[in-house]
Parts: sequence; C-alpha cells; structure tokens
Amino acid sequence: MSEYLLEIKNVSKFFYGLTAIDALSLKVKQGQIYGIIGPNGAGKTTLFNCITGIYTPEEGEILWKGKDIKGTPPHKIAELGILRTFQTIRLFAEMSVAENIMSGRHIKSKQKWYNGLIPTPAYYKDERENWEKVGELMEFFGLSQYATTPAGDLSYGVQRKIEMARALAAEPELLILDEPAAGLNENETIELAKTIREIRERGVTIMMIEHDMEMVMSLTEYITVINFGAKISAGVPAFVQDDPIVVEAYIGSDDEDE
Amino acid sequence: MKNISKNSMIAFGLLAIMGVFPFFANSAWIAIGTTFLVFSAVAFSQDIILGRAGAFHMGHAAFFGIGAYTTAILNVHFGWPILATWAPAVIIPVVIALLVTGPIIHLRGDYLLVATIGINIVFIQILENDLFGLTGGPNGIFGIEVIKVFGFEFFEQIHMYYLAFILLGITLFIMKSLDSSKFGRAMFYINKDDIAAQSMGISIRYYKLYAFAIGAGIAGAAGSMFAVQYSAVSPEAFNVLQSIMFFTIVLVGGSASLPGVLIGTFVMFILPEIFREFETARYLVFGVAMILTMILRPRGIWPVKFGNIPSFLKKDVK
Ligand SMILES: Nc1ncnc2c1ncn2[C@@H]1O[C@H](COP(=O)(O)OP(=O)(O)OP(=O)(O)O)[C@@H](O)[C@H]1O
Ligand SMILES: [Mg+2]
Repeated sequence: MSEYLLEIKNVSKFFYGLTAIDALSLKVKQGQIYGIIGPNGAGKTTLFNCITGIYTPEEGEILWKGKDIKGTPPHKIAELGILRTFQTIRLFAEMSVAENIMSGRHIKSKQKWYNGLIPTPAYYKDERENWEKVGELMEFFGLSQYATTPAGDLSYGVQRKIEMARALAAEPELLILDEPAAGLNENETIELAKTIREIRERGVTIMMIEHDMEMVMSLTEYITVINFGAKISAGVPAFVQDDPIVVEAYIGSDDEDE
Repeated sequence: MKNISKNSMIAFGLLAIMGVFPFFANSAWIAIGTTFLVFSAVAFSQDIILGRAGAFHMGHAAFFGIGAYTTAILNVHFGWPILATWAPAVIIPVVIALLVTGPIIHLRGDYLLVATIGINIVFIQILENDLFGLTGGPNGIFGIEVIKVFGFEFFEQIHMYYLAFILLGITLFIMKSLDSSKFGRAMFYINKDDIAAQSMGISIRYYKLYAFAIGAGIAGAAGSMFAVQYSAVSPEAFNVLQSIMFFTIVLVGGSASLPGVLIGTFVMFILPEIFREFETARYLVFGVAMILTMILRPRGIWPVKFGNIPSFLKKDVK
C-alpha cells in the first residue's frame, strides 16, 4: 500500500475545449491538513469534483490508498470514506438540521432492505444509534438548539457548520472542504479553524480550498497552488507564500480575497 | 408517546372515523367509502414515488391496472380463487415496475414524465388489443368472483369496505416504516438535492427503484381490490387521465403529507361522487382545484412538515 492516502497523477479535465485541469499531480498524506489555493476559475472545485466522482477526468489517475478510483460514482466514493462540503452550500433546505446530519449516517446504517416496510429489533437499535451519533455531532458543532429547524432557515455560518457535521457523520477518512470560510465573519472563521484542527485530531485527513490566506497559511501543512488548471507551486505555507510565481498569479488576477 | 406528530394524530382520527363510518351509512355510501379507501391507497403509493423520491411519474394507473388485471385474468380465465391472486397482484406489478423503469430511472423531471406516460399508453394498447386473448380488449373482463374463505362469501359492500380499510391500514403502516427508516429519508435527500445525496453515499438509482417497487406493489394490491369491488375491469379505468389524477392528488394535497394526500383524494374522487350534479363537471372541479392550489398554495393544501426526529434530540430546542 502507498504511503499516501490520495494521489492525483497527471489528471486533466476538459470542458468543451476548455482545460479546467491541466495534467495536475499532488499527494496527500494520512493525517495532513492539505490546502489548495489559486485564483478564481483556476480549477480547484473541478479538482474536488473529479476526486468525488461528480466528474470523471479524461486523463490521469486518482489513487485512493494506491487503487485507481477514477470513474467511480459519487455514492461509491462516499462509501470509500471520502466526504465533502460544497462551495455553494447544498443542504436539504426544507428538512430539519438533525435530518440533514442524519444523511451522513446513511452509509453507516445497517438497516436491511425490508426495514423500509417493516421495523425489526435490529432496526430500532440501528436507528437509535445513528440518531445518537447525530446528537453528538450537533453538540460538537453547537447545533443542538436548531435540531428541528429547517436548515434553509439558518444563517450562512450555521449552514456551513451543518454541512461539515453532515460530512463528519459518515466518519470519513478524508474530509474535503470547498471554501469553508467563505461568507463567515472573523469570529466564525477563527472558530472554524479551531474546529478543523479538532477534526484532524480525531484522525481525519483534510483537504481544503480556501481564499482566506491567513487561515490557509496558519492551518495547512502543505499547499498546492493552481492557476489555469495547472500546478504552479507547491510546498509548505511559508514557501508558497513567498514564491514569486504565486505572488505573480495573484496580482495577475485582481480578486485575491473575497 | 408524546412525540406523535400532529399530522399522524389527524390521520389516526380520520382512520377512526372511517372505521366506524359503515355503521352510519347505507350501502351506496359504503361503496363510495370503499372507493375512497382504495384510491387513497393508490394515491399514497404515488406519493412514495412522487412526493418522497421526487420522480415525476405519470403512469401510475398502469401499475394499479396490472394488479387489477392480474386478479381478473387469474380468476376469470384460470379459475384461481381471489385470495390466491393477491400475491401475484402485488408481485407482478413490482417486477414489471422494476423492468420498465430500470432503463429510464436516470431520466430527470420532464423526461421521466414523458417516459412514464409512454409506459401507461403502451399498457392501455396492450389491454385494448386483447394480448394473448387474455385482457378482453376494450370491454375488459367481466364476472370476477367475490372473495371466499372456507365457504364464507364476502359479497356485501361492507365486506369490501373493511378489506379496503385493512389495505389502507397496511399502506399507512408501510409509509410510517418508510418515513422512519433510512430508505424513506434517502428518498427525501435525493428529492431535495441529488448531488448532495450522492455525495453522502446514497445511490439515486437504488432508492428511486425502491420507491417504484413499493409504489407499484401497493398500487397492485389496490388494483386487485378494485377489480373485485366492481367485479369487472376495463382499460379506461387505468388510462393516462387516471395517472394524471393520482399525480395531481399528491401535488394538490401536499407531497409526502399524510392528511394532504387524503384531502387530495377526497377532493378529486369523492367530492364529485357526493355532489352528483357535479359529476358531469368533475374535470372542471379538478382543473379549477389544480390551478387555484398551485397559485395559492404551491406546496399543496396541507404541506408536509419535516423534523420527524426522536424526542431526545429535541431537549435543547427552544
Ligand atoms: N460543468 C462545467 N462546464 C463547463 N465549464 C466548467 C464547468 N465547471 C467548471 N467549469 C469551468 O472550469 C474552470 C474552473 O472552474 P472551477 O469552478 O473549478 O474554479 P475554482 O478554482 O473553483 O474557482 P473559484 O475560486 O471561483 O471557486 C472555470 O473556467 C469554469 O468556468
Ligand atoms: Mg471553486
């Protein structure tokens, strides 16, 4: 088995002639907090969509624990232990916070096909255990008071927490966060950084896209910088921060921080 | 049990009323009541597919009809007792539903809608062309027997009423099990955001087919009962217009809402029966109800309320 949890090898993704990802390679170690940065439209989200099976890259390999998972459908990717949040929040807006988080328990639930028709003792036990897990996560994220509130009625910051809680409910090995701090105020961002560290302490590997440079630089251990779909720099935060190519790329695009 | 929702309390109330209804009604009213119960079961089965899984399925009358014709054919042509036709009247619609929706289940919204209408039309064509000399063509099949158990004949209207009542009870039991299991929740997740659902490990294909299978099974059972109640089956009871009706009941009443679907069935099928003079204007009632509801209450007359979670999770809710 590979020493890396996730390896992206020469991956390319095209949209009608547009090269969204250009022969990109990177490696994520178990237990890392790994950062992906780059200007708007660089292809960061597309990369995450390739990893999670929403898109299938035309070229290259995506190795999960040494096995190529390219072309695996999203629901199977989740079963492998790769869970994600979305840049534009995707919650089940009319459903309660608890029900939203419960969706993360889906792959852990051991209910049999006939439990959709008839309950059994094993079903009651399973159902109880999964709801308890939801309760723990709501407590961890400070969401308990919103248990019955429709997720769509809550503030942006709270919705971001629900998305993370939902992904964590599936007990992922790799948690993929697409701009988790977007739309958060300063206090919320500080709280988020703390939460991300705590999640890592539980043994979860984290990959995150983030435009908030202060946060990325303080939180991540390794960063890959993407521009126009290609890797332009990679290394520890201190290195990347001062890399002239990176500075150039960000000056070239006028929207470093949004 | 303090965490019984308001909706299920109302449902229990309605069930209690329907349970004693025959003691206060003459047989004509009991017949209307029976129809209401049977159509409610079909509407609920449509609601599993449309209201829960969110599949725009406009061919449900076909599964209802397959159940009805299974009972009719096995009884009239092959001499099976009605009781023996019950299992096939459930299983055959389930198998056919899986076979015909399997290849189209990935279609979205309007595409699936058109494809399921196609299924319904093909079904009607098969019936009208008297396939294998079994379906009886445009006239259908007559002379379906009554249910007999150990020599006792269930020939009175009140017997059919209580059988239909049991059918609806079983249907509601299944819906309750579904809604409080990972299967029902998975359907809602897919319905609300399929990308998010997939990313949480939910197979869209599996849960949509699951919805179709259960929906077709319940509709088939209701069809069997319908065939026995009228002792005849014919194609026009299962055409696309009927499918539109079931589809509309769910949207007008309220997707995935128990009282909503009951209200929808009542408005669409029973009101016209009660006000006889309405009957000719039946479709006018539908049409107006559909338009008004979609304008005034786009989520249905009685929309579903989410938040069906165990009470121990509600302790911090203010
Ligand atoms: N489904 C799609 N069809 C066509 N083009 C797409 C699609 N998804 C992304 N793109 C294009 O691919 C490029 C990369 O987009 P992507 O969303 O990955 O950028 P990003 O780095 O996440 O940017 P941002 O920081 O703004 O989120 C963009 O030019 C975008 O327009
Ligand atoms: Mg993006």
